[in-house]
Amino acid sequence: MEQTRAGEYDAFVAARWSVLFHLARLLTGGDRHRAEDLLQESLVKLWFVWPRVADEAPEAYVRKVLARAAARSARRRWWGERPVEELPEVAVSGDVSATVAERSRLEAALAQLTPRQRAAVVLRYYQDLPDRQVAEALGCPVGTARSHAARGVARLRGLLADVIEPVG
Amino acid sequence: MERRDRTDHGEDRRAAPDGTDRFERELTRLMHRARQPVPFEVRHREALRAGVRARRRVRAARRAAGSVLAAAGLGLGLFLWPHGHTADRPTAPRPRPALSPAPAPSTSPSRSPSGTPGPPPSSSSSPSSTPTSTPTSTPSSTPTSTPTGLPSPGDTATTSAPPTAPESSTTATQRPPTATARGDSTTPPATATASD
Repeated sequence: MEQTRAGEYDAFVAARWSVLFHLARLLTGGDRHRAEDLLQESLVKLWFVWPRVADEAPEAYVRKVLARAAARSARRRWWGERPVEELPEVAVSGDVSATVAERSRLEAALAQLTPRQRAAVVLRYYQDLPDRQVAEALGCPVGTARSHAARGVARLRGLLADVIEPVG
Repeated sequence: MERRDRTDHGEDRRAAPDGTDRFERELTRLMHRARQPVPFEVRHREALRAGVRARRRVRAARRAAGSVLAAAGLGLGLFLWPHGHTADRPTAPRPRPALSPAPAPSTSPSRSPSGTPGPPPSSSSSPSSTPTSTPTSTPSSTPTSTPTGLPSPGDTATTSAPPTAPESSTTATQRPPTATARGDSTTPPATATASD
């Protein structure tokens, strides 16, 4: 019984690790180590509820735990100034691909949002969840979730104006 | 609002829901394109298992601490539970007013007129017996002793009654020795009680 449970759990984690890690990274504004910690914490929680959620929606459970943990831990700690290895404002050199540059700009822009705005934007535009599910994941009313997402996107418009060119 | 089926795979299925502008669509595309494949390594697996073990230990410790706290609280509650002398006193008088009002009004008026000649059984005996016994005992003892001790009856009635009335028990016992020195027949039992 325990072996079967562990096997299913390991298979799920191995299959979804990359996707969940990217989600955690977006939720933390590009902080790789914090994203790893958050994902570890969420997957440990998943282990203890695995018999209940294994047949339903384990990924939705992890997503909810991740989003709430990201918003909660970010509230406890000041993440306004974040040391980064590469400055996102540095001009892209020739050997760095455009994808990496875009990712750096995106993570730097996301890091400037408030945690709840960031979570709402990520859940809305990366996970492609409707407002109701975003609100459910964040544990807030639908209007609040919609407001967080709208303000986050409005902020990102200014921050990513040169990355995402407006259509003329 | 339209809901797309995909979760995170396939950037070609990034059809935006109604009401989204180009920036939002580009933002969605950018978020998906920024994903780089990260394999699930052995260190991740080990870290996960270590986390599960640590959380299991924390849960067990929390459960043990909870049970210890519950047992300690229960023991403390039982230790501080009022028992013995404190519990008996408040509970003893309480049944009486609940039971006595029913029989008391019926018995006390009926017995008080009829009980004066006869001895009442329980409650009315204590107030009535003390006044009756003290006057009856002291006058009865003094008249019996004074005729034998003193020759004149008028002097013994006035002099002997005032000292015996205030001193109820001590003078009654001390009198007989004085009477025994003078009396003949009543003194021997009185001296025996006084000496004992």
